[in-house]
Amino acid sequence: MEKVKMELNICHLYPDLLNVYGDLGNILTLKYRSEKRGINVNISNISIGDSFDPKEYDIVFFGGGQDYEQSIVSSDLSETKKFALSEYIEEGKVLLAICGGYQLLGKYYTTPEGEKLPGLDILDFYTESGNTRFIGNTVIYNEDFKETYVGFENHSGRTHIGSMKPLGKVVAGHGNNGEDGYEGCIYKNTYCTYFHGSLLPKNPELADRFIKTALEGKYGDTVNLEPLDDEIEHKAKEFVIQRESKKK
Amino acid sequence: MILVTGTNGKTTTTSMIQTMLSDSKKKVISNSTGANMYAGIVACFVDNYSFSKSGGEKYAVIEVDEANVKFITEIISPKIITVTNLFRDQLDRYGEVYTTLKKILEGVEQAPESKLVLNGDESLLGDLGLPNEAVYFGFDTAIDQNTKIDINADAKFCKKCKTPYKYYYLTYNHLGKFYCDVCGYERPALRYSLDKVVELTPDGSMVEINGNQYYINVPGTYNIYNALCAFSVAKELGLENEAIFDSLKSQKSSFGRQEIIDIDGKTVKIILVKNPAGYDQAISTVSLETDKINLVTMLNDNYADGRDVSWIWDVKFEKLSELDIEKVFVSGIRLYDMALRLKIAGLPVEKFMISESYEELLKGISQTESDKVYVLATYTAMISFRKFLNSKGYIKELW
Repeated sequence: MEKVKMELNICHLYPDLLNVYGDLGNILTLKYRSEKRGINVNISNISIGDSFDPKEYDIVFFGGGQDYEQSIVSSDLSETKKFALSEYIEEGKVLLAICGGYQLLGKYYTTPEGEKLPGLDILDFYTESGNTRFIGNTVIYNEDFKETYVGFENHSGRTHIGSMKPLGKVVAGHGNNGEDGYEGCIYKNTYCTYFHGSLLPKNPELADRFIKTALEGKYGDTVNLEPLDDEIEHKAKEFVIQRESKKK
Repeated sequence: MILVTGTNGKTTTTSMIQTMLSDSKKKVISNSTGANMYAGIVACFVDNYSFSKSGGEKYAVIEVDEANVKFITEIISPKIITVTNLFRDQLDRYGEVYTTLKKILEGVEQAPESKLVLNGDESLLGDLGLPNEAVYFGFDTAIDQNTKIDINADAKFCKKCKTPYKYYYLTYNHLGKFYCDVCGYERPALRYSLDKVVELTPDGSMVEINGNQYYINVPGTYNIYNALCAFSVAKELGLENEAIFDSLKSQKSSFGRQEIIDIDGKTVKIILVKNPAGYDQAISTVSLETDKINLVTMLNDNYADGRDVSWIWDVKFEKLSELDIEKVFVSGIRLYDMALRLKIAGLPVEKFMISESYEELLKGISQTESDKVYVLATYTAMISFRKFLNSKGYIKELW
């Protein structure tokens, strides 16, 4: 029997509103690495007023935006997408949330002006506003996967994840709140982080993990992705690791 | 004093206004090297101390960084303040377009007597609610059929009611003839309009402004905006069309802005790139080229370039894969980030020449077949590469 061509349906949430800091690179990388393995990729842009059907998607990307745009998103989310998004996450499907998207999934976040805004309350963490902004290259280490990730953080929010699992231990940079030494958060197959850079181009292991997990969830079978030539990826990552280690 | 600010086009616009004034036989000084922070502007006035003692009508055309407008207007009330455009810029410094706008307006509020010459196609600059007299310039013609804004452009939502804007046409990024069909906010009436784009070439553009034809000696849509802005300021200052015509026709590129350098018989054009909107425009301009070219991309992440290189993922490098490119040279501090961006954009990796040193890069350039080389470089990469070329005798003057 001829092998059926696999397909990934990626949902980009609010691409027209939550699109600063080059986060589009994450979508481009998922598409590139999937297509190199002969996997078909469809990208759906879901925004204001659109309905979100959790059954339709295999990977969801939820980025960060400027304050003005984020205020537009916040009300639309709770009105039209909250329950569907919660269902998607609880089913263990793959979601990547960055910066503003990360904060919105939690219980609440406070603005620099001191206003306490409710989050979607899907995940058990909260974000308080800080006096300074954490800006710079970041390096973290994930002990379960034994992988190092690099990125660029730029946030004033201090996120407290309690007993939830972090994305990694901070090697260089500030991470979630500059205090507990952790960065990001993992719940089932939902990955949250402050990493721009973009995240996935320089961390291809993570991109492949998302693709593999999504395909296995969809087709119910073990999926082995053929390795790609990642020489440029590794050199770009190694540059950040080396430079940050020299600073110490 | 004429103050020039905005995200992109400050240096070129300032230089154009300065040329128009001197071609009109006016006495004029300017911080033409792009030193646009408070200290650089003070230095410009110190350097020209004797100028202030000279008699008669005198002009200072000053380019100023968006966040530094307020330091200038605290001391001086400019005759004209002009704002070119607002795009997302080096986000680790100012961040968002609304923050940048706020910083500019803090400066303008201290100068209620200044006349504002503003880009009307920039939706953020309409209806500012200030006591200042405001004059607008913009495009009264479409360049192409584009009426749909790119999903990744800036300022897509009505600044008054948060509804997505609609466009009769877009020129680039979010600039164009916009309107909001919910609250009625729309592009302001234009005093100075670009009526017709006659021809766009890799060397310059032939256009019609307020009924007269002009040739702009620097290429690309973004330079038409710069010329239109300079034209508007010149007309507000009462300059004659002939002087403006001559100035635009002979406009020399500012350093690192479409500067042409001869390297062993190859025509090397250096284009400064700072942010996604500017980079997309640089790519559009390179795309006017019909011959086979060599491309050099240089990415640094020093403070002046922006420490965060994420922004390259917002640039549409995918468009470059339509071009006839012989070799793609990649250099600068963050060369592997750039190489990765170009790889994901679909450019053929076998054409990449990743050069960690300028020596290697120069050697590579001199060995290519095609005589046309485009260098797209961030600010400190451009400065250091020019210094290198100067040390090798390819550039005589550093500034």
